[in-house]
Amino acid sequence: MPNLHLTRRTFLRLAALAGLGVSIAALEKTARPVGLGNYLRWLARGQTQNLAGSPALVGLGTCPSYDDDVLGCLRDLWRQAEIPDVSGKRVLVKPNLIDVIENHPTTTAPAVVGAVLDLLAEMGAGEVVVGDGPGFRREAWPVVEISGLAAVLAERKIPFVDLNYDDPRPVPVRDGWFRHASAIWLPRHVCEADLVISVPKLKTHHWAGVSLSLKNLFGIVPGARYGWPKNFLHINGIPTSILGLYQLVRPMVAVVDGIVGMEGDGPLFGAAVPHGVLAAGADPVAVDSTCARLMGFDPQKVGYLWLAGWAGVGQVDRVATRGGSMEQLRRRYQAPPGGTLT
Amino acid sequence: MSTPALDFLLASQNSDGGWGYAQGQASTTEATATTALALQNDAAGDECYRRALDWLRTAQHPDGGWGLSHEDDESGWETAWAVLALTRVGDETGALDRGVNWLSAVKRLQITDDELQKETREKAGIDPNLDGWPWLPGEATWVEPTALAMLALGALPPTPAILARLNEAVRYQHDRRCRGGGWNFGNPIMLGGSLPPRAHPTAWAILALARVAPETIQPEDVTALRAEMQRDGGALALAWGLLALRTLDQNDEEAAARLSAQQRPDGGWNQNPYHTAVAILATQGHL
Repeated sequence: MPNLHLTRRTFLRLAALAGLGVSIAALEKTARPVGLGNYLRWLARGQTQNLAGSPALVGLGTCPSYDDDVLGCLRDLWRQAEIPDVSGKRVLVKPNLIDVIENHPTTTAPAVVGAVLDLLAEMGAGEVVVGDGPGFRREAWPVVEISGLAAVLAERKIPFVDLNYDDPRPVPVRDGWFRHASAIWLPRHVCEADLVISVPKLKTHHWAGVSLSLKNLFGIVPGARYGWPKNFLHINGIPTSILGLYQLVRPMVAVVDGIVGMEGDGPLFGAAVPHGVLAAGADPVAVDSTCARLMGFDPQKVGYLWLAGWAGVGQVDRVATRGGSMEQLRRRYQAPPGGTLT
Repeated sequence: MSTPALDFLLASQNSDGGWGYAQGQASTTEATATTALALQNDAAGDECYRRALDWLRTAQHPDGGWGLSHEDDESGWETAWAVLALTRVGDETGALDRGVNWLSAVKRLQITDDELQKETREKAGIDPNLDGWPWLPGEATWVEPTALAMLALGALPPTPAILARLNEAVRYQHDRRCRGGGWNFGNPIMLGGSLPPRAHPTAWAILALARVAPETIQPEDVTALRAEMQRDGGALALAWGLLALRTLDQNDEEAAARLSAQQRPDGGWNQNPYHTAVAILATQGHL
């Protein structure tokens, strides 16, 4: 047997090497679900964003009811949040039209969609359409009619597009969020839009924690390709699917209807919260994080928001709110069942 | 059949022989198969029908399945539509057999972990071991793709393998039934709360059970369907609901009047060949 003579220096080198090996193995194990390349890229981008990124602007406004001056409030928010010019742009306005259920404020209020359309007209936007592809409705138009949105659209001569059937086409995935697909089929009007404005209801969600401007993007996925509900988004993982869709529809603006929010068993069976708030901004991650705070939730406990901040997809903590005061507008929403926010 | 509706379908056929979900849109499997079924008994549509079947045959993937359209290379739930349409014609190309094989072998998400099985039973109120069909391979199973697969396989000469799948599918639909009758999309409860029935899954489940095991349809299912047709009020909910009711030799005159009132001057519904085809099928009273 050879006589091994281990010096202190050799021992320390071997220990350091072993430590490095263990660290790499642990990193590889942590990163395995998303791939080491994605993991390291997102990590580096997130660190860069946290150290060097500019704070995102979010406009907050008070609007006690849908009969008040929603357009005036929205106009202020748009200016405060310094949302880029939309003149001449083709715009898809995407409300949340998941379903109409009596006594549950599930959908974006028509008054808010109408105010967005009026503001776009004032600012000289080009072709404007409103569209959604509900996950629990084979036909969206009855929701448009029953919710009262049809009258708002007719008055303004704005067409509605059922995104579940809108001539879908494949779009290559970006940024690694859909690991098992090379492309996602998206509706024609999403592909051709210069800007998507997500106009969700401020509400809780039993799987995602909250349903805001980014979760609202599930409605751009065509049921004609993926079914009802769009189960591949769940299989891929809700937080990763939310961020993956966001990477496909940039640029995007968020306008959140919190005049009446929903707490508890969202997205369908929660209770109304008269909240009287509107929020808007050009960084949907920042808008959603702000809205989570408005609901009394820590955005770092909302899976997709934590992930967005960690991966540098948008600002979660470096957010500058303008207009209304967070302290005065914050409420304490009942958390959704399922323990996603506890 | 309403002649204006037929004229709408004939005029909206794409040059490739298929139909899209709107006039001028790319042809899709569901719209083409449904329209073919609506045209199959109409002499005026013979040529269109033949071209539709050609479209379906050329859209089939090497694995035997169909996707959304010719451009989609992943097979999914649309396969059942194509199989259903091809069961109505003698098929010498083997397309039907390949489609049936795909449909019979498609994989679903399996929950094997005991703890997760228990959680699924508690939170969703379902038996996760029952075999239904997913929208896309590898996903969870749902009421609608299962109903569609039942309609397709139920239209074939019964073999022991097909009968076994259909029997299990009947148990699956029974397991997924809402507490008060009718069907939601996949489970009767969610996190302890009851889910309400919805028109479309209820209509499809009734159509499927009417073909395979009509004795299992409960009066509450029909009541739920009627209520949901009225609540929804859209052309699709009314047309699929009426078709399901008429398969059971029942009717809903108010719903029929609402559907009829939605027909446009061009003869179609919502400028949509698929909606129009389903409305025609509802008038015919059988799929």
